[in-house]
Amino acid sequence: MTHRTVHVPTIARVEGEGALHIRLRDGEILDLRLEIYEPPRFFEGFLAGRHFSEVPDIVPRICGICPVAYQMSAVHGFERLFEVEVPPGTDELRRILYCAEWIESHMLHVHLLAAPDLLGYDSAIEMAATERPALERGLRLKRLGNDLLTAVGGREIHPVSPRVGGFSGVPSRREMGAFVPRLEEALEEILAVADWVAPLAQPAFPRPAELVSLVHPEEYPINRGRVATTAGRAFPSEEFEERVEELQVPHSNALHARFVDGGAYVTGPLARANLNAERLTPVAREAGTRAGLDLPTSDPFASMAARIAETALALEESLRLIRGYEPPEPPSVEVRPRAGRATWITEAPRGMLYHRYDVADDGTILEAKIVPPTSQNLRHMEEDLRAFVPTVLDRSDAELTRLAEMVVRTYDPCISCATHFLTLDIDRGEER
Amino acid sequence: MTVVRVVGCGTPSAADDAAGLIAARMAGEELAGVPGVEVVEAGGPFHVLDLLEGAHAVVLVDAVRAPGGGRPPGTVVRVEAGPEGLPADVGRSVSSHGFGVGEAVGLAAALRPGHRIVFLGVEAENVAAGWPVSAPVRRALPGLAHRVAEEARRLVEGAPPGEDGEEA
Repeated sequence: MTHRTVHVPTIARVEGEGALHIRLRDGEILDLRLEIYEPPRFFEGFLAGRHFSEVPDIVPRICGICPVAYQMSAVHGFERLFEVEVPPGTDELRRILYCAEWIESHMLHVHLLAAPDLLGYDSAIEMAATERPALERGLRLKRLGNDLLTAVGGREIHPVSPRVGGFSGVPSRREMGAFVPRLEEALEEILAVADWVAPLAQPAFPRPAELVSLVHPEEYPINRGRVATTAGRAFPSEEFEERVEELQVPHSNALHARFVDGGAYVTGPLARANLNAERLTPVAREAGTRAGLDLPTSDPFASMAARIAETALALEESLRLIRGYEPPEPPSVEVRPRAGRATWITEAPRGMLYHRYDVADDGTILEAKIVPPTSQNLRHMEEDLRAFVPTVLDRSDAELTRLAEMVVRTYDPCISCATHFLTLDIDRGEER
Repeated sequence: MTVVRVVGCGTPSAADDAAGLIAARMAGEELAGVPGVEVVEAGGPFHVLDLLEGAHAVVLVDAVRAPGGGRPPGTVVRVEAGPEGLPADVGRSVSSHGFGVGEAVGLAAALRPGHRIVFLGVEAENVAAGWPVSAPVRRALPGLAHRVAEEARRLVEGAPPGEDGEEA
C-alpha cells in the first residue's frame, strides 16, 4: 500500500482535502472514491438573513479565481426577480468583466497546472528552468485579464463595482481604450500558446459523455442562456433544480450532481466549445485548431485546447466590446425588492454556476443555494477515473498517481489550483 | 517606484486565515508616511504572484500551518526566500486555493532570481469560513504587525534584515 501526500489544501483545510482512494484487487477496482471539499456550502448558510444588496460583496469571497462568476450569477438572478432594467451598455461591460476572468483563469490553468503535466515536470516552478519564455508569456496574458478585471471591477480581486441594478462606478472610454493595443498583442500571443502546447503528448481518453452548457442564439454563452446538452436536453435556468439532483455520498462532503432522469454530466470549457462551436470567434477557432481541438469531442484531455480557444474568444470579445464602449449612464438604476425566487446560471471558467435565492419582500435572503461547476463535474470525474485507472494499472504507483491527477485536472476543479492536489491512496492488496 | 511592498495574504471571514490581511493593515498604519513603502492586500496566491513583481523587495505576511502540526498557534515565523523559494518547514500557507503563497514565491524565485522576499507567518489555529480570529492569533497580531513594519522599514532604509526563526 502506498500513500503519497501531494496536496495543498483548500479553504477549509481543517475539514478535509482533495483525496483519491483506490482499492485494487487482482487488477480490478474494488473501490474508487474522489473526495473534494467544497467551500460554497458554508456560504449558503452565511447568506441567509442578509440583504440582497450585500450578496454581490459576499459571494466573490467564495473563490479567489472566479469572483466575477459568483457575482454575476447572483446579480442577474436578482435582476430577473425584481424586474430590473439595467442601463444600456451594462450587459456589454459585464461581459468584458467576465471575459477578463476567463482569460485569467484559463491562462493559469494552461500554464501553471496543465503544461507541467505534459512537459513532465512536477510543478510550474520546475518548469520555469526550461520554459521560461512560455511561462512569462502565460503570466503576461493572465496579467492582462487581471488588469482588465481591475479596470471594470474597481479592484483586482473580489471586484467591488458590480451591483444589482448595474455598476456602482464605470470606467471611462479612455481607460478602456488603453487596453486595445494590449488585447491586439495578446491575440497574437494566444496563437503562440496554441503552437506551444500543440506538440506536447497528451493521453487520449475518448469516453462518451453528456456535455452540458448554456447556449444563446446570439453569442458564445457567458452571462446568459438556456441549458442544452449533447444528449438533446434543453431547459431554462430556472428549471435547473427540477432537472438536476444533488446526492449525498458517504465519502465526501461535496454533493454529487446528476440529471434526475439520467446520469453524470460534464460542464466547462469543453462542453461549451462543443455546444457552441459555431459561435466561436475567428481567432478562437484558429487557436483551438492549432492547439489540437477537434470538435466534437468528449475527451477530457481536449479541455486544455478548449481553454486556449476560449481565451482567444475572451480576448476578441473584449476587444470588440471595448471598441464600441460607451460608459453606461447612469451606472446603475434603483432596485425595488420583492418576494420570490431568484435563479440564474452563468458560465464560470470551470462551467455552469447556478445560484438560487429565496427572497422576502424586504429583500432579505431566506435561503440560498449555490451549485458550483466542480460539484456538477464530480460524479463524472469519478466515473472517468473508474474507466481510466484500469487502462494504466501496469504503471507504478507514482505514474498512476500522475495520470489520475491529470484526468481530474482536465476538469480544473477548484481544488486543482494546486500544482498537485491529491492525497492518493492506492491499495493493491496482495499484489505487492 | 515602490521600493518595498508589504503584501497581506489570506481570506477575510475565515478565522485565522484573515491574519495576514489584518497584520498588513495594522503595519500600514505604522508605516504611514514612510516613503517608498506600499501596503496591499492580496486576493489569493495567484494575485501574490503579480504582487511580487514591480518592487525591489516584498514583505509577505500570511497565516501558516506547520507540516504535521507541532507549532503552537500564534507562533510567528520569519523566513527569507532563497533561490528555491520558501523552505518546506515553514509550513503551508493557508490560502483559499491550493496554489499557495509558497508556490507563488517559488515561481517568482525561479523566474526572477535575486528578488528579495521576506515572509512572516503566524501559525493558525482555525481557518474555517465564518469564524472569528482565534485568541492566540489575535494576541499575536500586534507583534506580527510591528515586525512586518520593521522589516519594511529596514528594507527601505537598506538596514540589515531581521533574522530567520520562529517566536511563540
